[in-house]
Amino acid sequence: MLKTRTWVIILAAVLICAVGLSFWTLGRKADGTVANVYQDGVCIRSVDLSRVTESERIVIEGAGGTNTILVEPGRICIEAADCPDQVCVNTGWISDSAAPIVCLPHRLVIRIEGGAESDGAPDALSQ
Amino acid sequence: MQTKIKIIPIILITLFLTGCGSTQNTVQAEEAQTATIFAMDTVMELSVYGSETLLDGAESIILALERELSVTDAESEIYAVNRDGAGSVSADTAELLNRALELCARTDGALDISIYPVVRTWGFTTGEYRVPDSEELRALLECVDYTRISFDGESALSLAEGMEIDLGSVAKGYASSRVIQYWKNNGVTSALLNLGGNVHALGTKPDGSAWRVAIADPEQNGYLGVLEVVDQAVITSGGYERYFEQDGKTYWHIIDPDTGCPAESGLISVTVVGSDGVLCDALSTSLFVMGLDGASALWNESDDFEAVFVTSDDAVYVTEGLADNFSPLGDYEGQEATVIYRA
Repeated sequence: MLKTRTWVIILAAVLICAVGLSFWTLGRKADGTVANVYQDGVCIRSVDLSRVTESERIVIEGAGGTNTILVEPGRICIEAADCPDQVCVNTGWISDSAAPIVCLPHRLVIRIEGGAESDGAPDALSQ
Repeated sequence: MQTKIKIIPIILITLFLTGCGSTQNTVQAEEAQTATIFAMDTVMELSVYGSETLLDGAESIILALERELSVTDAESEIYAVNRDGAGSVSADTAELLNRALELCARTDGALDISIYPVVRTWGFTTGEYRVPDSEELRALLECVDYTRISFDGESALSLAEGMEIDLGSVAKGYASSRVIQYWKNNGVTSALLNLGGNVHALGTKPDGSAWRVAIADPEQNGYLGVLEVVDQAVITSGGYERYFEQDGKTYWHIIDPDTGCPAESGLISVTVVGSDGVLCDALSTSLFVMGLDGASALWNESDDFEAVFVTSDDAVYVTEGLADNFSPLGDYEGQEATVIYRA
């Protein structure tokens, strides 16, 4: 009798853990819009844009030069750069996964990953 | 005995939860394989539903094309022809050159692959921007004329004195078409390529719905709208992509081969949609140069592409074939796009 009760408790505990775990995993995915900064293809910085509350500057120094990133709630841009073509600065703000910000001379890419897909963001940006 | 019966539903629920977990795994297995490649002076994003080797194959195709077509790589075929005034080219370059020359003629020179020295003088290839004077431009324009390129259609290519060519206006479109063909030959039914803003979709999304491709807002404020496409390239040219300002005037990288200056046709963005990447790539630039009337006239006598135009007063025009696939967004959401019908 006691043995059966122990089993019931164990199974109930497993059940609760399982339910909790699935809520946690599903919840986590729907959450953050994360901007990842890649230099030469390597992710060197991640910013969860959904948790940004006030604007912040991030200066990235690389072999090619410097890019100043500006982060605001839900969006990110390159505010200034010492690259010759200024294409990264001209790109302006991005807030979803449709297109990255690219600084080709500095081999810097900022891409928003995770979360955005469920928001009905486009699959790609033609520009 | 009673407690035992109660256990059964709990076991069933636990099993059900495990089942839920495994469905999630199958979804993960269908996730796209993705890669980012720096090539052809841009960033390329490849996304394919299939095996990872499909990415390696695609990367080889792109890098091989870049080696043949690059205008700055001293080892490339195009570089050699520009340096020596003549030379022989391989099969890929020949195929693209034939297509490009055909499109130069079809657009009556609004696309001209010999415009390269002018574009370089403005600094659009190097980032060292400057405004050349009219004397300098006149001298350069004397060597701009695609009709003076002689090509036997297979390999022997020779240029007029002082002429230099660049296939950059069609190279990315060709690369995307080649990769799409390679993937199709390998059974892929769902993939998306973005070669520096040139988007090319293969098939549909894995769930069978159309790909949603946004068009950049020429005013740099989000999106102009979204197009739903299946098996099509969506290629946009706009003055906002690459430009510089001097003495309060904006100079963009789309050069009119007639004047040697940034095209001022009244258009600020042109998107071309079609199944042929080379055609879409070539037309996005040349329709921009032609302006709305010229571009609509060319569309009217063609059946291999559709287009979206934005004029400098922010009016949006879509050709008949896209009317049902285009939804304006953001700043453009309030206004109805004007549909251009066949005459």
